[in-house]
Amino acid sequence: MAKVIIIGGGWAGCAAAITAKKAGADVTILEKTDLLLGLGNVGGIMRNNGRFTASEEIIALGASELIAITDRVARHKNVNFPGHKHASLYDVIKVEPRVRKKITDMGIEIMLETRAIDVNKTGNKIKGIVLADETVVEGDVFIETTGSTGPMGNCLRYGNGCCMCILRCPSYGPRVSISKRAGVEDILGQRADECYGAFSGACKLAKNSLSSDIVEKLDKDGVVIVAIPQEDINMGKLGHKVCQQYALKEFAENVILLDTGYAKLMTSYYPLDKLRKIPGFEDARYDDPYSGGKGNSVRYLSMAPRNNALKVEGLDNLFCAGEKSGLFVGHTEAIVTGSLAGHNSVCLYLGIPLLELPRTLALGDLIAYANEAIKTPDGLKNRYTFSGGKYFTRMVEKGLYTLDIDEIKLRVKRVGLEGIYEEKLL
Amino acid sequence: MKVLDCIDAGTEYCPCHLAEKGECIMCSQLQGKSFCDCVNWKGVCIYQEYIWNQSHNKESRKTYTCEVLNKEQIAASIYIFKIKVNRTLTRELNQPGAYVFLRSPNDPLYFDMPMSIMKVDKEEETINIVVQERGVKTKSLLEAKNGNDKEVLLRGPFWNGVLGVKYIKGFRKGKALLLVRGIGQAPALLVANKILQGGSSVEVILDRGKAGVDFTKNRFEKMGCHVINKKIIDEENLTVSDWVIQYVRNSITNKGTELIYSGGPEILHYGIGELIKQMGSDVYFTCSNNMKLCCGEGICGSCQTRLIDGKRVKTCKTQFDPIAIYGGR
Repeated sequence: MAKVIIIGGGWAGCAAAITAKKAGADVTILEKTDLLLGLGNVGGIMRNNGRFTASEEIIALGASELIAITDRVARHKNVNFPGHKHASLYDVIKVEPRVRKKITDMGIEIMLETRAIDVNKTGNKIKGIVLADETVVEGDVFIETTGSTGPMGNCLRYGNGCCMCILRCPSYGPRVSISKRAGVEDILGQRADECYGAFSGACKLAKNSLSSDIVEKLDKDGVVIVAIPQEDINMGKLGHKVCQQYALKEFAENVILLDTGYAKLMTSYYPLDKLRKIPGFEDARYDDPYSGGKGNSVRYLSMAPRNNALKVEGLDNLFCAGEKSGLFVGHTEAIVTGSLAGHNSVCLYLGIPLLELPRTLALGDLIAYANEAIKTPDGLKNRYTFSGGKYFTRMVEKGLYTLDIDEIKLRVKRVGLEGIYEEKLL
Repeated sequence: MKVLDCIDAGTEYCPCHLAEKGECIMCSQLQGKSFCDCVNWKGVCIYQEYIWNQSHNKESRKTYTCEVLNKEQIAASIYIFKIKVNRTLTRELNQPGAYVFLRSPNDPLYFDMPMSIMKVDKEEETINIVVQERGVKTKSLLEAKNGNDKEVLLRGPFWNGVLGVKYIKGFRKGKALLLVRGIGQAPALLVANKILQGGSSVEVILDRGKAGVDFTKNRFEKMGCHVINKKIIDEENLTVSDWVIQYVRNSITNKGTELIYSGGPEILHYGIGELIKQMGSDVYFTCSNNMKLCCGEGICGSCQTRLIDGKRVKTCKTQFDPIAIYGGR
């Protein structure tokens, strides 16, 4: 029996667990907090722009589970906001329990409040993951999905300090880069000014701290746009953001709120006293990060070099996915990379060729494109997502972007990968 | 164990001089690196504390002038000092591994000697320390006259007097075996006290050693420990006695002992450490810190030693699994 250990229970880790399990592995997820989904607990935006195509490709490949959950708990579908079309907004409060149940029902072991700090290895092969209490979890193949956010010291050095985000490093301890611990140097993302890292791109306001007409409109339409007073417009902040798909002029000139259960404020941080000057925001209060008036978490400080099958270079049995595998933004991107890494973990165990998704699919193209880009200085300042920025433009140009589900199914079938993630290999 | 902890991490004395000079034991950011690699998290971001403290170390420990309430000679060269301290110090020193630096008021700074705490009385606000006359510093303290014997200069609190202290603090409802010899009896009382608080049973093999006096048997028994008086060291061969080796082996194998504390000379630490390593046992091994503690702040270098893997550690502040030194090379 192949024992696959997944380090990090965010979207990528959950997706990897599901495909590894379906391929026949015995799977354990190590998660440092008391919640799965990591930053997915404060996310919510699915199916906007090219993410629609990507979601349908994932489903056609045979990993529909997580997309099905986010679709089911969507508070709004087909929402348009500046630069973005047909977004679906999941309820961030309802999503985690459903994902947890799904994972548990599938027979995947989840070890919560379990922080990985190091590896035991022989040569280039990892034997086990050392936990904070110095016990060791052994396995055959390992998938690192620890992300690239924080911890506190990084948020301080490259941001405005710990702002008490959902990752809750002070409570559960900091993220440790497992690939680095195994001897592989991290790759670091940069901002336009070449400073390392980037701020997370959104905050959550407590809905009941906003005026009733804003809340009503949010509940009804899923989106509210309010102009920022002229003197408070800060264009410079756009360059610091992770989510370049939201680094648009409209996002600097307006406060854009999306309804994800909270009022998702589409800016990396916003001083509370300035926010409260905007009509309807007089009582505004942050729910994530708690200090959203001061800063936000800093990301992209820890990526592993990998091939297009998502195996980490320089190690025999470590895969990576999610932000750990590149300058990706978003849950869809995490699910895409996670699913592939999970499937390939079993291929590696069996000694059969690892799956690389062809570039005729948006998924394969994004994974390969981001890997090429990360090797260039300019590429380190970009982010890669189906939902906007440079990559969505490419998707459109290459004809990869489509809303035609039958066409997407056909594309997957044509390359012989229909339902590949459903196959039990072991 | 791969984890090296700093005993002072997260205390009011952290970040210290080491952090300011890029030599922090814990924090990669304060070791001159640019990114977090926080393996040994202690619940506080030391880098954040440092930045909030205007990128300076916190104030170091103070030296207090303390009244000596009583000095009792219990053997040819052994004295028990009862010293009046403040309430905060009693609280901070009431734990296994606690120690202070003492010197006579008219001696210069380099007469400071590390002394383990034997007993703390929170009501009286006093501590008891056992002094054995050995060299220049102890002689000077014991010979102080004309009023100078009424007071001592006390610098503290320090905590790294026991290695593997987290095993002692975290031990619950198990069986512990303490091997204590000579002057090493004194700090073992706080060790026993902590283990008993965790609902565990404590057996003590007690050897009066070169101190020539048994001053703890009654105290151990009063706490609820089972005490066996026995020679621990074979003084002819300078090794741990065969009887003790057999006893420890049997305790681990047949009696379910899960924690061993070695409170005696280096020979004892090595003897027990090598035995445990040889047995391949996962019993918790803890011991008194016998290194030459001089400044206590990780600065002077006198306590530095190498672990089996070659890593250098400052033992006055660093916590690690004692097997990493005493498990044989």
